[in-house]
Amino acid sequence: MASERILALDVGGTFTDVVLVDPASGSLTTAKEASTPGDPSLGFFAGVDKILGQTGVTAPEIAQLLHGATVATNAILENKGAKTGMLVTDGFKYLLEIGRAEVPRKENIYAWVKPKRPVPPRLIQEVPERIRLDGTVVKALSEEACRGAARRLAALDVEAVAVLFLHSYANAAHERRAGEILAEELPGVEIALSSDVLPIFREYERGMATALNASVQPLVGRYIRKLETEMDRRGFSAPLRVMKSNGGIFSPDQAARQSIHMALSGPAAGVRGAARVAELAGFPDLMTIDMGGTSADVCLIRNGEPSISKDSEIGPFPLSIPIIDIHTIGAGGGSIASVTEQGGMLVGPESAGADPGPACYGKGGDRPTVTDANLLLGRIPPHLLDGEVSIDPALSERAIEQHVARPLGIGTVAAARGILAIVNNNMVGALKVVSVEKGYDPAAFTLCAFGGAGPVHAGEIARLLGARRTLVPRHPGILCAIGLLAADLRYDFVRTRLQRAPDYDLAAMAETFDELMREATARLEAEGVTPDQRRFEPSADLRYARQGVEITVPWAAAEVSDAGVEGVIAEFHRLHNQLYTFADQEAPVEIVNLRVTATGLTDEVAMPRLDRVEPGTIAPADGERLVVFEEDVPMRVPTYRREALRAGQVIAGPGVVDQLDTTTLILPGQRCEIDEGGNFILTEEGDGP
Amino acid sequence: MSREATTDTVTLELITGTLRAAREEMEALIDRTAMSPFIREKKDFFTSFLNRDGKLVVSSSLTLSGNLVEGVFQHYPSQTMADGDLYIYNDAYGTGGGVSHLPDMVFLAPVFHDNKLFAFAESWGHLWDIGGTVPGSISPEATSTFQEGVLVPPVKVMAEGVLNEEVFRIFTRNSRFPDMMRGDLKALMAACHLGKRRLEDAMDRFGADAVEDAFEFMLAQSEQALRTEIERRVPDGTFGFRDYIDSDVVTDQSQSVHVSLAKSDGKISLDFSGSADQAEGPINFIMDDSVPKYMCGLYFTMHDPNIRMNAGFERAIDEIIKRPGSLVAPVEPAPIGLRTHTMIRVNSALFGAIAQATGGDASAASSVYVLYYLRSEDRATGRVDLCIEGLGVGFGARTYADGTDAVYYVAQKNYPLEFAEMEFGVEIEAFRIHADSGGPGRWRGGCGIIRDVRVLADDATLGVRLDNCKFPAFGVAGGQSGRPGRIIINPDGPEPYELKSMSDGNRLKKGDLIRVITPGGGGWGPPAERPAESVLDDVLDGFVSIESAYDDYGVVLSADGVSLDMDGTARRRSELNAPTGMFHRNQYFSGSTAESLDDEVAAE
Repeated sequence: MASERILALDVGGTFTDVVLVDPASGSLTTAKEASTPGDPSLGFFAGVDKILGQTGVTAPEIAQLLHGATVATNAILENKGAKTGMLVTDGFKYLLEIGRAEVPRKENIYAWVKPKRPVPPRLIQEVPERIRLDGTVVKALSEEACRGAARRLAALDVEAVAVLFLHSYANAAHERRAGEILAEELPGVEIALSSDVLPIFREYERGMATALNASVQPLVGRYIRKLETEMDRRGFSAPLRVMKSNGGIFSPDQAARQSIHMALSGPAAGVRGAARVAELAGFPDLMTIDMGGTSADVCLIRNGEPSISKDSEIGPFPLSIPIIDIHTIGAGGGSIASVTEQGGMLVGPESAGADPGPACYGKGGDRPTVTDANLLLGRIPPHLLDGEVSIDPALSERAIEQHVARPLGIGTVAAARGILAIVNNNMVGALKVVSVEKGYDPAAFTLCAFGGAGPVHAGEIARLLGARRTLVPRHPGILCAIGLLAADLRYDFVRTRLQRAPDYDLAAMAETFDELMREATARLEAEGVTPDQRRFEPSADLRYARQGVEITVPWAAAEVSDAGVEGVIAEFHRLHNQLYTFADQEAPVEIVNLRVTATGLTDEVAMPRLDRVEPGTIAPADGERLVVFEEDVPMRVPTYRREALRAGQVIAGPGVVDQLDTTTLILPGQRCEIDEGGNFILTEEGDGP
Repeated sequence: MSREATTDTVTLELITGTLRAAREEMEALIDRTAMSPFIREKKDFFTSFLNRDGKLVVSSSLTLSGNLVEGVFQHYPSQTMADGDLYIYNDAYGTGGGVSHLPDMVFLAPVFHDNKLFAFAESWGHLWDIGGTVPGSISPEATSTFQEGVLVPPVKVMAEGVLNEEVFRIFTRNSRFPDMMRGDLKALMAACHLGKRRLEDAMDRFGADAVEDAFEFMLAQSEQALRTEIERRVPDGTFGFRDYIDSDVVTDQSQSVHVSLAKSDGKISLDFSGSADQAEGPINFIMDDSVPKYMCGLYFTMHDPNIRMNAGFERAIDEIIKRPGSLVAPVEPAPIGLRTHTMIRVNSALFGAIAQATGGDASAASSVYVLYYLRSEDRATGRVDLCIEGLGVGFGARTYADGTDAVYYVAQKNYPLEFAEMEFGVEIEAFRIHADSGGPGRWRGGCGIIRDVRVLADDATLGVRLDNCKFPAFGVAGGQSGRPGRIIINPDGPEPYELKSMSDGNRLKKGDLIRVITPGGGGWGPPAERPAESVLDDVLDGFVSIESAYDDYGVVLSADGVSLDMDGTARRRSELNAPTGMFHRNQYFSGSTAESLDDEVAAE
């Protein structure tokens, strides 16, 4: 076939990254365009035009188009979803408003102000109906009331409607019928049923997921239709696939319906990209750290698979759908350092962002940031983007002197080292949340650092954490786009079916698994996945009787037998002990939710390789600069250009390697090898790679 | 300690960050593994690190416990403690108020350095049932603390790593829900051990001296921040305020908390000796000195999220005066199960005094959260069903924001109704906002809620603690008081009846509907100064009725009911009477001195 080329576009907050791969030749071309938050499709097509122009490839030659998007994320975080109405069971109009009735644990009770809900009470209509927790109907749905409610919402000009009926995870009939009535009465309005979005118990969490889904559906739908129309016009015939928060991809049709699954599209793609690069390098177990301008995302990956969380948050709201378990902290290059009135020292979460940016940018920011500390210590070069933009260490020094060194009565170099120590400690804390706190020893994992600031800090973080090896990918800035290339189609199906020990109803569970498998198979069928490319992973959420949080345990082949149940329970005890330091073999175990994850495998895309030289060859330096490490006195350190390096070469630390969008710092005592994929593998001198 | 603090600021910050993260890890462990609804869904637990003197250094922000170590020292002097020991207790009187009621079980692990006691890791959680007169242990009708469950004085449950299972066996045997209790105890114990290990890791990494310096660093920052704010905002003088609890249940008499805040020459004292005598019913509160100090600390430093609650706040306030035998310093065996009602009044009285001192720079009063206890016992099978639900109320308006609607307390969640129906043998038929319950004001008081609960058991008894009916949460600076709640059985049936809002032993039968209507918080600032658009928003969202908009706020809606009649509003607002006192409870009062306030209330 002539046209097997794949185009991947990741739209980030600042930049849109584009990658074009030709699997036949193994070539990979990259491009960067400024993102256009007002209308992200502009940046999207600017990126498309740029890379097609660069390579001379034409639209019809593209076989697949992959996309990571922030449209849903931004709408949720900035509370800019569409005007959304809601239907709820009579008596429960204020479910979202009341929520779980708590002042969050980390907040000051006197200072906390409740965040605004995505759907205000005035747009919520009550409908008589009631289903019991076992799925039996207590009160039939009043279709008349439903129609009346739909008309009232129509008069209020809503663009979407969420439906949340109690216990609908046990019986979705009322929600389905209400959905039909809404579709009749409100043509063109998007509809989200809680039994479709998240069919598990806990009405506030399910309702919030459904409300958020509905409120972004119109935006995502419009955006996707716009992309498809424009693609048609430009002669693309390739299908579009969109990145999901669970690390898989899905069809535009599903994205427009299950839009909440795009909430962490970008970060999930980054983690997927890191997993892919590290797997090719031979390191399937890793911790990723993606450090950008304002925040750092960390994640744990085992055996090539990122951890999945089922109870995370987006902004102030719960998000109980399966998403890659990414832990985010406010620590980035732009994090501001300050000294408090009481003599304490803070780094972040306040950030200088891109505007005014760090003091050294000279754009009016006079407060010192992490980037200023790195610059003052020589850890990054005095320019950005290969010299396109100059940055001024004198401005960094002045800011650090004024805001940190003088108030603390220490020197500027010590102050800069302190800023980095604190931010590194914060990142180590975040990495411990995803490793040590989950019962994993960081020493058994490779640290994979990317994002503009990640590779600068990776060496010190690895040492503090006790990670034995650090991997810096060849293209740390475009890992999200690489992740798109590596993602498979992935759909999660779940149902609450509470089973209490010892009366596990095997027949009922088998029936539920059959149901989930049927749905999963139909979904992959609809996506055109051939049977040999389909994978199904059944699992179940278990807990000790009386507990409130479940652990997801794989259930091999969904074998619902006494032996199958025993196996799942044994694995639950083991995981409980690993996660929470104890297990209770005596306590009865409950099976709460059954799940099937369906994967449609995509073809693996080969990554280009570097030319090889004799292994162990010393890499040629192209200059030197003064860098401060542990001691106050700067060391003369050789500098390298990343593009000039070849596979097999070695750098003995200290050293700094500059490239277009980042700098890798190699500490004294560390050793850096370049592998065939062009990745850096950093180890401590004396340890093997 | 004679050693000079030598650790640099950066290292101190590294240690601070590390210990805060470790404490959050302890919480996460409890959160995910505990078994009783109180801990697993409601999140009623607390973790901390304390220094070797038992001073709180890193902690949750709940102002409910006292000196967590002092009571243990009385039985086990520090020189007798060994590495691997673990101490537990729930004995509120026996520890001088280490915890303030019996269901809170404390786990305390001493941490050693060089064979010398260095610090403590601690966790406590509210257990579901520890024996006592009624399922759930807390009874609004208790007349003695010996009816409120089994007392565990400080005991060494683990000696140098060896667990004394017998202690747990005795204790769990006294619970009606022993499995749940075992699960909770395991979770709390695991968290305590985890904290100990993390603290040891920190000492290994930074050195014990540096960690000790960091302890002092954290305390000093909180102390300094609070001292600065008090100095900045509170003038010299003496300022009193009295607030009231509706009922002690047993005698059904109202009781009061009085505080007199005195500041002179940079010294500040809080005198509670004007509070009522201890009550016969369980609203007595063994108030540790730290409680009002932490309230002041959290209030005055709320603008700065970097200042955390710890014993530094205790050093910033010089003196707490209590009268033994009073409501805030009861004598054993006065019952204490409902101490929250008094604790919340300690808070509101304190705010009243601060408002007096500052001309209104304090939040309005919050209502006390509501709990009901629905119990059924089947004598034939021995099966006990217990449903305890905590319900949100309205909090007081702030000087800068509305009071929070439908909120229980910090870090305490309600049950999802889909969970409650799974576990409790009830059906929840409605869950609404109690419109107009938030006190009118420039900033509106938070609204309470309405919850309809259908009883499915054949016979059941109901205990209820619904306060702020006789004494609604007061308003400040021209804001008005919140509106009371009530509890009605079968409100839509042929023979509805109301229950006493603080009562127990109410008999219910299958099919009865309990409607709990909870009270709102006080408002802040004159209602006529609230922007008309905000009032319209509240009307559209059902927090304020059209009538209240007109009567209380002077806001007139157009005939369509969805927009403002600006002329009508201006006219109506010109007719409204201006506030005639700093405070409001059903009517304005000045509360310029404690005595006159008493007179005004007595006159009502």
